[in-house]
Amino acid sequence: MSTRPLACAMLLLLLSSGCRDREITTYRAPKDPVAVLPGADASGQLPADHPPVGSPAGGEAAMANTAVPTGSDSLTWAAPAHWAAKPAGPMRKGSFAVKGDGAEADLSITAFPGDTGGLLANINRWRGQIALPPLAADQLDAHREHLDIGALHVDVVDFAGTANGTPTRILGAVVPHGGETWFFKLLGPDALVAREKPAFLEFLRTVRPR
Amino acid sequence: MTPLVRQFRDFFVSLKLTVVLLALSIVLIFWATLAQVQLGIWGVQEKFFHTFFVLENIPGTAIPVPVFPGGYFLGGLLILNLVAAHLYRFKLEWKKAGIQLTHLGLILLLLGELITSLQQVESNMRLPEGGTMRYSESYRINELAILDTTNPEFNEVVAIPEAVLADGGSIQHPKLPFQIRIRDYYPNAALAMRNQPAPGGQQAATGPLATAGIGPRVAVTPLRLTYKQDERNAPAAHLEFVGPEGSLGTWLVSPLLGMPQKFDYAGRTWEIALRFKRYYYPFALTLLDFTHEKYAGTDIPKNFASRIHLKTDDAREDREVLIYMNNPLRHAGLTFYQASFEKGDKVSILQVVRNPGWVLPYISCIMMALGLLVQFGIHLLGFVRQRSAAAVESSG
Repeated sequence: MSTRPLACAMLLLLLSSGCRDREITTYRAPKDPVAVLPGADASGQLPADHPPVGSPAGGEAAMANTAVPTGSDSLTWAAPAHWAAKPAGPMRKGSFAVKGDGAEADLSITAFPGDTGGLLANINRWRGQIALPPLAADQLDAHREHLDIGALHVDVVDFAGTANGTPTRILGAVVPHGGETWFFKLLGPDALVAREKPAFLEFLRTVRPR
Repeated sequence: MTPLVRQFRDFFVSLKLTVVLLALSIVLIFWATLAQVQLGIWGVQEKFFHTFFVLENIPGTAIPVPVFPGGYFLGGLLILNLVAAHLYRFKLEWKKAGIQLTHLGLILLLLGELITSLQQVESNMRLPEGGTMRYSESYRINELAILDTTNPEFNEVVAIPEAVLADGGSIQHPKLPFQIRIRDYYPNAALAMRNQPAPGGQQAATGPLATAGIGPRVAVTPLRLTYKQDERNAPAAHLEFVGPEGSLGTWLVSPLLGMPQKFDYAGRTWEIALRFKRYYYPFALTLLDFTHEKYAGTDIPKNFASRIHLKTDDAREDREVLIYMNNPLRHAGLTFYQASFEKGDKVSILQVVRNPGWVLPYISCIMMALGLLVQFGIHLLGFVRQRSAAAVESSG
């Protein structure tokens, strides 16, 4: 069996695709239902129904964009020296590893536009992460501690539950600021997170608007 | 067999060649992955994979020299190597059936990728709710469309690829009663009205080149080419149309103008537009309804779905389809995927893919899986027989 026919076929395939991008084509097409630009007029103004010049045709979201919008960088903080900074990643504004007793807890700082569903929904989301039942709206006040740090209003929660069968604790703070909601969350082994609570509260007191 | 032919044969059937080609492929893929930071996915595919050689300019000049074998070169040699080794060593043996089937699947996979890279066409269809579309648009390739709109029923279209504009010079076409002279061409340019500040604050250095249409009122600022995945290059060109009795005027064209420009010549009405390349189909899609679900309390999308009415010109098909993630519409050799939407959830964007080789990877994977099953099955059977024979011996 000769391989020549195969080689010829491949060469033809290559050549046919190579010429394609310079080929002028003609065809008959149905009419578009859109208007056209009239000839030049002296006014220098665009006709009333003309789309703005200089912006791409086809609207703003012509390409797929399913990226999750996150908040701005409008808050700053100073972490305790024994917390080790980690790379923040695409969703996080800040990220720290809190180590002790051979275990590690994770501190995450995130921000999103709007109220992200409200305080109760977010606190119940955290409770769900450590296998606690959701709170009703009238139970919320009993479980949160309110702090005023400068101009910021901070709601702090402290929940102990379990994750994958091990005792796990969440220390969280929700901070509405400038139309966004900021979340500071320390998640890790119960004993370690409980011991870090003073450091966490001290850390919250360093949060300032930029 | 002459020594030269034998040398060639030994080169193409050798396993060393396979190893070297695979090693070079690893380097190529690693390099291309790093280069994706600067070039983006399209640029990388063109520069590293859809080419016989990776070209780099000699520093300080614009002279390209090949520096590394490209995807076509390595893939092509791999196919040759595989086919040659197969033909050379082929023996019709039941014991080798599995290996042969697996390798045949691999050859098919490589051929399928070649066909895909040469023949695949991707485009977008933008459908507002209640709107009907008969064409899709490329999101990277532009064309200069010259339409004869005199007939009230249809348009006669002459579509000139952007690459022809980039070549410069002039264009003459039997369907056009005028010649097109390309006065200038920018692969990427921003437009602004002359009575408004230009983008970036800089004012266009030159006066208007255009004498007709909207061009005299628009300032053109050339920009660097972008390779980002979510940005498009917007070319611009000044075109002078020349008839037998002289110049008809110079028009500015760019997809950023947003609308075609109109003029009358030789008793006919013409429209010109530099636009995203269009692909017309012998059927129409109408968007009946677009739904967009989010996870509660967030803006994270959970599901998008487009309820579409498909109607072919020959009236053979007239039906409703639901397109959502991982459930595309396949029709007439095309695949329509739910790709995106616009703000307000009133406009759905479908990705339209024509890939004549789409079925080959499936067939080749089935062949390779079957081949491996057969191969291991033969070994397993042999092993079981040996053991049972040994058991019979020891018990006897």
